[in-house]
Order: sequence, then structure tokens, then C-alpha cells
Amino acid sequence: MTNIVVLVKQVPDTYSERKLSESDHTLDRESADAVIDEINERSVEEALKIKEAGEGEVTVLCVGPDRATDAIRKALSMGADKAIHVSDESLHGSDMLATAKVLAAAIGKVEGVDLVIAGNEASDGRGGAVPAMLAELLGLPQLTHVRQLTVEGGSVKADRETEEGITHLEANLPAIVSVTEKINEPRYPSFKGIMAAKKKPVETLTVADLGVDSGEVGLGNAWSTVLEASPKPPRTAGERVEDDGDGGTKVAEYLVAQKLI
Amino acid sequence: MRFTPSPEQRQFAASLHDLLSGADTPGAVRAWAEGRPEPGLKLWRDLADLGVTALRVPEECDGLGAGLTDLVIAFEVLGYHAVPGPLAESVAVAPALLGDGERLRALAAGRLLATVALPPHVPYALDADVAGLVLLVENGAVYRGEPETEPVRSVDAARRLFRVAGTGGALGATDGSAFEAGVLAVAAELLGAGQRLLDEAAAYARQRHQYGRPIGSYQALKHLLADVVTRLELARPLVHGAAVTATARDVSAAKAAAGEAAYLAARAALQVHGAIGYTAEHHLGLWLTRVRALTGAWGGGAYHRARVLAGA
Repeated sequence: MTNIVVLVKQVPDTYSERKLSESDHTLDRESADAVIDEINERSVEEALKIKEAGEGEVTVLCVGPDRATDAIRKALSMGADKAIHVSDESLHGSDMLATAKVLAAAIGKVEGVDLVIAGNEASDGRGGAVPAMLAELLGLPQLTHVRQLTVEGGSVKADRETEEGITHLEANLPAIVSVTEKINEPRYPSFKGIMAAKKKPVETLTVADLGVDSGEVGLGNAWSTVLEASPKPPRTAGERVEDDGDGGTKVAEYLVAQKLI
Repeated sequence: MRFTPSPEQRQFAASLHDLLSGADTPGAVRAWAEGRPEPGLKLWRDLADLGVTALRVPEECDGLGAGLTDLVIAFEVLGYHAVPGPLAESVAVAPALLGDGERLRALAAGRLLATVALPPHVPYALDADVAGLVLLVENGAVYRGEPETEPVRSVDAARRLFRVAGTGGALGATDGSAFEAGVLAVAAELLGAGQRLLDEAAAYARQRHQYGRPIGSYQALKHLLADVVTRLELARPLVHGAAVTATARDVSAAKAAAGEAAYLAARAALQVHGAIGYTAEHHLGLWLTRVRALTGAWGGGAYHRARVLAGA
């Protein structure tokens, strides 16, 4: 029986305009549609595949405000068994380190965890360091940027893909895995799955319930601070070459002048 | 009367919408019209995985035993994407006609597609060449139908209609509820198709420029499309309400209103698109012809308006 915890984050939809709030430069969650991060749908899918290949239980773990229940609901309707939702006002503005501490404490609440599956990075913050921090905090092996995963007996095998190439990794369970978008195609929730999700248990916990010191989390205790934020400047128009029969030559001259050819 | 969609129903609709947006549904419709049903059948299998084909099959036959409100939610999305095949027939009507557990299980799993003719309002069996089970309902009795080999032409090339003759003894009997379920499903499909036509027209009006500005900035187009929004918005509660009451009068009101709204949407969308909307290569035609066909199918506007008046 493989006991899997999947980390799930609710993020602003990448199709909507994302911005930081003016008061404290944290993510303005109200201004955009909130959805489960796409990479987490793949994380859930991978956990479900492992569960369906043998035996197991999939627990969804989410740190986020009250409305993050929608993201949890989607993971449950895909087929996860239960969920833990850490929701606490004091977590507002927490950095990655504080988030990792809270996640580590919450994972500790699940008995006999064999595997933790996360996305390689969230589409909003794009820090990509939480899985590694969790591995450090929990003292577990980390297998990151995984595009293929197999669980056999007490060990896990993974193909890790980065720009440098593919590395074949193996580790003993329990372990932490982060997956890339090549890992699988997530399923769509079925009518049965959606109805079943209504009855699945969701445990809501606060920072105090987890025994985490509230002096370690939140915007005020973050190790870095956003001082200023401005939107990306629009792209400049570039140079237009009119073709009067010598267009090719002009383009070549321009590229030579830029030392590109 | 409560007909506001539940969070679960919204989630189901979103799931179907995601599936159909991700697949090449227009390509499947075109292939279906050319007599190549394989891409469309693949779509049916995917829809079966999400539970669409099992909605109206009882739970003891591996179905979902879902209500008519769930059915209309699904059919709005199916119409929005112009999914090909005998949808109303196989998903909404056949489960109400069959008593045989084995066939119901096959229907629920998506292994069996059924189609049905219910003269006089449904004189032909849709897609009888693809369906594994052809039924004919006459005078309240259900028969196995034998389709002719050559289809009857529909204005919608993706609707392949066949004349059928009953064979053998009656398989069972039916009251009017199977017909009402079919009418309601088609009303929801029309509503979805109308919404799609509106969305396509609104998107095109924002994108197409004339005299240096988007054509959607001109009042004539705004008014045209605002009228469509109003008609669709007024038809939607009738469709959702009829799914709650299931009375013949409410179902007829839903079909008449959804048909008129969708037809107005089709005319407006074609006008907004201009000549490009007439071309066979543009996707708009898939909905234009579907709406025209469905407006007349399962009883036309005159029949349904008469039923509303008779029941008043």
C-alpha cells in the first residue's frame, strides 16, 4: 500500500491578468480567476496512477486561503481520497521557507507517508524551491524535475529531465518527487468523481494546530521583501525594412550592424 | 422550484467543456458528415468516461441515475461544441425505452450507441448507420427498427437521417416521458449552440476592423448581439425549469424558446461574420446548420407553441 501526499496550490489563472496588490506587494488573489495549478493536476494524476496500479491512498495537501477549497475539490473529484487544508490569516505573505515549514508540519500529520508528489514550480511565484526545502526539512531524498516515475516495492525510480539532459535516479521510500509537465496528461473529473468528492473528508488546520510558531510565518517574517513592482514594459516596435527589391540586402546590412552575422 | 445549477453541476459542465475544447471537435463533426465516424466515436468514448452516456441509466445497471437537471447541464455543453452523433436519442431517450439490463449496461459504458425514430415528430432515425441499436416507437410500443441503406439529406451534413421500418414484435411499451426527455435534451443542445454562435460573433466583432475600428464598436452590431443575449437569457430558465417539472407544457415552452433564441443567434452570427461565415471552411457553418436542423427536429416551433397553449 502506497501512502501518497500530493501538494496542491491554487493560483491565478494564467489566462487572466495577474498582478500584485498595491498595499503590500503580495499576490492580488481577488483580481484574477483562481484555479488549481495545472502542474498539480499532473501531480494528482501521477499519484492516482500509482494508487490504481497497486494499492494506496492519496491525500491532497493545500496551504491557502478559504477559497482554495475549490482547488482541493477538483483534486478530490479527480479521485484523491482525502484532503488537508491549512488555512490561516497569519500565513498571508509567507515566503517559500515558511511555506515549506508549514507543509512539512502538515505532512507529519499524515501517518506512514511513502511518497510526496509536488509540481516542479507553481505558475504564479515560480520559485521552484519548495520541494527541495521540504526534502531538507523532512530529511528525505528528493527527486526533482521528474518526467517519468515508477514505484517498485520500497523504492522509487525516476527520469529527471533538465536542460543538461536526462538523469536516471533511484531512491528508497519515503521520498519527495517533483514532476514536470511531461509526466502525464491529467484526467478530467467525471460525474461520478465530482459527486463522490462531496463526501470526502477535508481536514482544515491552522498554524497553531500544526505546532508551527506564528512568528516564523507571514509577510513580516519573510526573509526577502518586495520593495517595488511594476509591469513589464511593452516591447519596442523594432525596425521596419521596406522591400524595394533590395529588402534582403537591407536585412543583411542590419544584422551585420548588430554584429549578428 | 429550484433550478440554479449546483456547484457539482457547474463542475461537471466545466469538465465536459475542458474535454471538448481540448479535442478537435469541429474536425470530428466534419469527419462525421463525410461518413468517417471514428474521430466522433473517440469523442463519445471520452464522454462516456466522464459519465455522459450513463447519466439516465439506472444505478442497478451501472448507470448514474442522474436527473433531468443534470441532463440539460450536459446537453448545453454538448450543443456548445456541436458534438456529432445521436446524443438526445442515445443518452436521453433510449435509457427510458429499454428494460433490458444488458443493453442498458452497454449504453452506460458507451459500448452501445442507440438511435430512435418516434413518428410523427421524429420521423427518421439519426445516424442509424453508426448506431448499434435502432429503435422505432409507434403508438406507445417499442420495436426494433430496420433502417434503409441510403440516408435522407438533412440541412446539417453531420446529421445522417434514415427511414426505418419496424421489425418483429414489440420489445416493450412507453409512455410519453421518453419523447419529453428527447425534446428537453434538444432544447438544451439548442441553447448551447446559440450561446456558441453568440460567443463566436462577439469574438469576431472585436477582432474584425472596418474604417479603422473594430466592427463591434458600431451600435448596429451591438444592438443585434444584445438582442441575442436577451433571448438566450430568457430561454435558459425555461430549459432549466422544464428539467425540474418535466411537464409536457414546460418542455414545449423550453423547446420553442430555445429554438427561437438559437435561430436568432444563428442569423445574427452569420450577419456579423459577413461573407466569411458562409464559407464551408469556416467553423461557423457547423452551428448554423445544426441550429436550423434542431429547430425543426423533435417537433417544430408551431407544434410546441400549440402544446403550450393547449396546456394553459
